[in-house]
Amino acid sequence: MKILVIVSQTQDTEAKIKVSAAGNSIDTEGMKWIMNPYDEFAVEEAIQTKEKHGGEVVVVSMGPARVVETIRQALAMGADSALHILDEGSPDMDSFAMGKIIAGEIRKLGGFDIVFTGMKIIDEESGQVGVQIAEELGIPHVSLVSKVIEINPSANKAVCQKEIDGGHMVVEVPLPCLITCPDAMNEPRYASLPGIMKAKKKPLTEVKVSDTNLDGLARVKTVEIKVPQIERKLRIIKGQDGPMVKGAEVEKSAEELIKLLREEAKVI
Amino acid sequence: MSNEVWVVADLKIDGSVRQVTFEALSEARKKIAGKLGGELCGVLIGSGVSGHAAELGKYGAEKVYVVDNELLKDFNTEGYTIALSELIKKHSPAVVIAGNTVFGQDYFPAVAARVGAGVTMDAIEIDLTNDKKLKIKRFSHSSKAIPTQVFLDHHPMMTTVRPNSFKAVEDPKTPEVVDGAVTINSGDIKSKVIEIKTKGSDRPELTEAERVVSGGRGLGSEENFKYIYQLADMLGAAAGATRAAVDAGYCPYDMQVGQTGKAVSPNLYIAIAISGSVQHFAGMGSSKVIVAINKDPEAPIFQKCDYGIVGDLFDVLPPFTEKVRALVSQS
Repeated sequence: MKILVIVSQTQDTEAKIKVSAAGNSIDTEGMKWIMNPYDEFAVEEAIQTKEKHGGEVVVVSMGPARVVETIRQALAMGADSALHILDEGSPDMDSFAMGKIIAGEIRKLGGFDIVFTGMKIIDEESGQVGVQIAEELGIPHVSLVSKVIEINPSANKAVCQKEIDGGHMVVEVPLPCLITCPDAMNEPRYASLPGIMKAKKKPLTEVKVSDTNLDGLARVKTVEIKVPQIERKLRIIKGQDGPMVKGAEVEKSAEELIKLLREEAKVI
Repeated sequence: MSNEVWVVADLKIDGSVRQVTFEALSEARKKIAGKLGGELCGVLIGSGVSGHAAELGKYGAEKVYVVDNELLKDFNTEGYTIALSELIKKHSPAVVIAGNTVFGQDYFPAVAARVGAGVTMDAIEIDLTNDKKLKIKRFSHSSKAIPTQVFLDHHPMMTTVRPNSFKAVEDPKTPEVVDGAVTINSGDIKSKVIEIKTKGSDRPELTEAERVVSGGRGLGSEENFKYIYQLADMLGAAAGATRAAVDAGYCPYDMQVGQTGKAVSPNLYIAIAISGSVQHFAGMGSSKVIVAINKDPEAPIFQKCDYGIVGDLFDVLPPFTEKVRALVSQS
C-alpha cells in the first residue's frame, strides 16, 4: 500500500500568545515548535497500516524551512520518505489556498491508497483543510475517526468508527480515501534512537510554493487578532484554618455558593 | 448572485432540529440578512424533512429550501455534499451558514471546496462589513486568541457557527417552501453508513447544554462519577470530563471537554476536581460563569473562575447537590 500522511508543525499548546505589531498575526519570535498533536495520531495510524499490510508511508508537509524538523520526526517514527512543500510565508495564504496546493502536490505524487491527517491544527483550529484536500482529490473521506476497524486492500475498503453526538457511527468507505484523526485513536510511538539516525538518510523532496500561482486563490483574510480578556470574578471561598473548608464551613460554603449563583450570577 | 442568506438545518439522529439551527437563524437575521437586503432562508436536507419548515419559520426563515431524498435518510458525507453543492450552484446565495457540529465539520468544508467558496469554521460572532463581506470572529491557538476574518471576493461566503454562541429569538414567519430537488445517484455515495448507535440518555448533549457539570481525575473512580451525574441531573445539565478522567477510564470519550474533546460554551460550567489546564480551558474557557470545586488552593482554575470553593469534593458536593435539589423542588 502507498500510505500518505499529511502533517503540520504548530506552536506548542503551552505557548504564551502575543499578537504581532501589525495586529493580524501571532508573534512567533522565540516560539517552540512541535508536530501538531493530532497529526501524531495520523502518523501512528499510517505506520500501523504499513506494518499490517506492507508498503510505504510518505509524509507530506507544507510550511517554512523549520517544518523539516517535524518531517524528520515522522520519518524517525517509521515513515519512509517525505515531500516538503516549502512556503516561506506567502502573504495571501489561507486554509483554502493551502488545501488546493497540498492536494495539487498529492495529485502529482499519485498512486496512493489511503491518506491520514489530524482532525485540525491546534493553532488555526479550523479543521477544514483535510476534508477539503479529499474533495480536491475527488476521494471520499471519513472525518473524526475514533477507531480504524479494518483496512482491507484486497477488498479495496476501509471500515471506520466515528463518534457522533450521543453515539457513534460505523462507515465503510472504498479506497483510496482520506481519514482525519482526533486523539485517543491510538498511542503514538516515540521515535527510537536508531529511528532518528535512519531518518536523517531517508529521502526528502522539496517543492516550492512560489512555483505555484497563488493569484486569487485565498478566500478569507485575517484582519485582526485579539487575545481574549474575560474578566472572571475570582470569588473563592476558603477555610478559616488552612485553605480547605472543613466541618461546619462545608455546609456554609455550599450555601454561600448557591446564593452567589442564584442572586449574583443568576444562573440557577 | 442573489442576496439570500442560508442557514442549513442540522438534524439530530432522531430527526429533530438542533438548537444551533435556530441560534444561527436568529443571529443571521439580526446581523446579516437586513444589511444585505436579502431574504433569510432555511435549508432542509434529508428524507421526509419538509415538516420542519414551520419550525425554521418560527425563527425568521422567509423561505425554506427542501432537498428531500431517500438517499439522504441518514447523514452521509457525499449525499449531503452533493445536495448542498447543487442547491448552491442553482440558487447562488450570498451567505451559507451551518452549525459546527460533527456533521457540519464533516461536509461543510467539502461543499466549500466543491463550489470554490471560502469557509470559516466555528464562528462565535458573525457580521457584515460595509462592503457586504462576511466578517467572523472565532477562537484559535487553544482559545488563547480571537482572530477576525473577512471574506474576499468570492461567493458564496460560508461559515459554521459554534453552538450556544447566539440567542435563539423567535420571529414567526410563514415560509415559502421551495422544492430543492437535486439528482443524486446511489453510485455517487461511495461511503456507506453501516451502523449508527445512539446511547439513550436523558441528559442534554454537551455542546448545546446551558449548564455543564464536569469532573476531573480527582474523582478517583468511575463509581465516584455518580456525584457528577447526580448534580448534573439536578441542574438539568450535561455531564463532562477532563481528558485525564477519560484516559483513566472513569467515563467515555464522548464526555471529554477540551482541546481534544468537545468545545462547550454554556451559561454555567461547574468544574469538579479539575485543575484547569490550558487544554481543558481550550474547550470551556468561553463559558459565561465558571465555578470550581477543588481541594488544591494552588490549582490554576482558581485564577480563572468566577466562583469557587477550596475543599474536598466528597465533603462539599453532597450538601451542595442537596441544596440544589431543595431549590429545584421549590420551583
